[in-house]
Amino acid sequence: MRYVNVLLAFVTPFAVAPFGTASAADAAAASGYTVLRDDFAQLRADFNQAKGSVRLLFVVDPICPGCLRGMDDMNEDLLSQTRDPRLKTFVVHVPVIGAKAKDVMPAARLLENPQVRNYWNASGEFGRALARAVQLKNDKETVYAWDVWLLYGPDAEWTDTAIPQPELLMHQLWKLEGTKFPKLDSAAFAGEVHNRLQALPASTVTSG
Amino acid sequence: MAEKLKVLGAAGGAVGLGGFAAALGLCCSVPWAVALLGVSGAIAFARLAFLVPYALVGAAVFLGFGFWLAYRKPACADGACPPQPPRMLRGIIWSTAAVVVALGATGVCLRMAA
Repeated sequence: MRYVNVLLAFVTPFAVAPFGTASAADAAAASGYTVLRDDFAQLRADFNQAKGSVRLLFVVDPICPGCLRGMDDMNEDLLSQTRDPRLKTFVVHVPVIGAKAKDVMPAARLLENPQVRNYWNASGEFGRALARAVQLKNDKETVYAWDVWLLYGPDAEWTDTAIPQPELLMHQLWKLEGTKFPKLDSAAFAGEVHNRLQALPASTVTSG
Repeated sequence: MAEKLKVLGAAGGAVGLGGFAAALGLCCSVPWAVALLGVSGAIAFARLAFLVPYALVGAAVFLGFGFWLAYRKPACADGACPPQPPRMLRGIIWSTAAVVVALGATGVCLRMAA
């Protein structure tokens, strides 16, 4: 399956090329991800639309091997194991070590779940905004939010002014070692997700 | 001759493990890891990142053994003392130590930066 995915990653750009008049956003949508502007309006709308479900927010660089390992673990321990429509996952890809838009889909294919939406924030502003919102700090400085894995309950709402506080935030950042934020443990994360799903009524969420 | 081979072996082991640590550090923080290894390859390499400290300890053990070989005083028997290890071996092991420290620092710094 992985080889097919890699092949698709090479073939897709050539398939899209003849329709060269499409905008970058159209091309992105056709490829399976959304270009996220710096007001994050699309993500906020999608997040709020899924209110009533358990929501996951992952922020990764799609060419960071550690992030990819985290995604692979999340897939193995959680997302490939469930098709529960009450679980929605939002993955924001940011260019911390030099990723480009073309890198998004090969990474996105690691998550084998129909309820996953991918976003590409080319400026990386989302990482700064999220770091401020969740106070992602060590004792010296605010730490840019990437390679972070957040869990939101069904009541969380993203207002105009602030990204909501997660119920759980895990990370794989050396700069956050020894802080209140736990290191990523995908099995424990999956356990927390399942606990929240069990507490949800069966029909709270429509697909979408 | 056997002494020289032992020192060279220890130096080679130290450089190899130091290089391994540096490669693991590089893998997880430079942009071309995925381009070079593919997504699956980069993930596999990232899963080995926990080996960095073990590789550095292994390199240090090899270096220590090399220094011991290069600087030890051979035991004298029946009033006859074998010659000291040649100075060249000490040069080799000091050069190796410099290379290993550079490689180890590279691996650790890049891993901490990631």
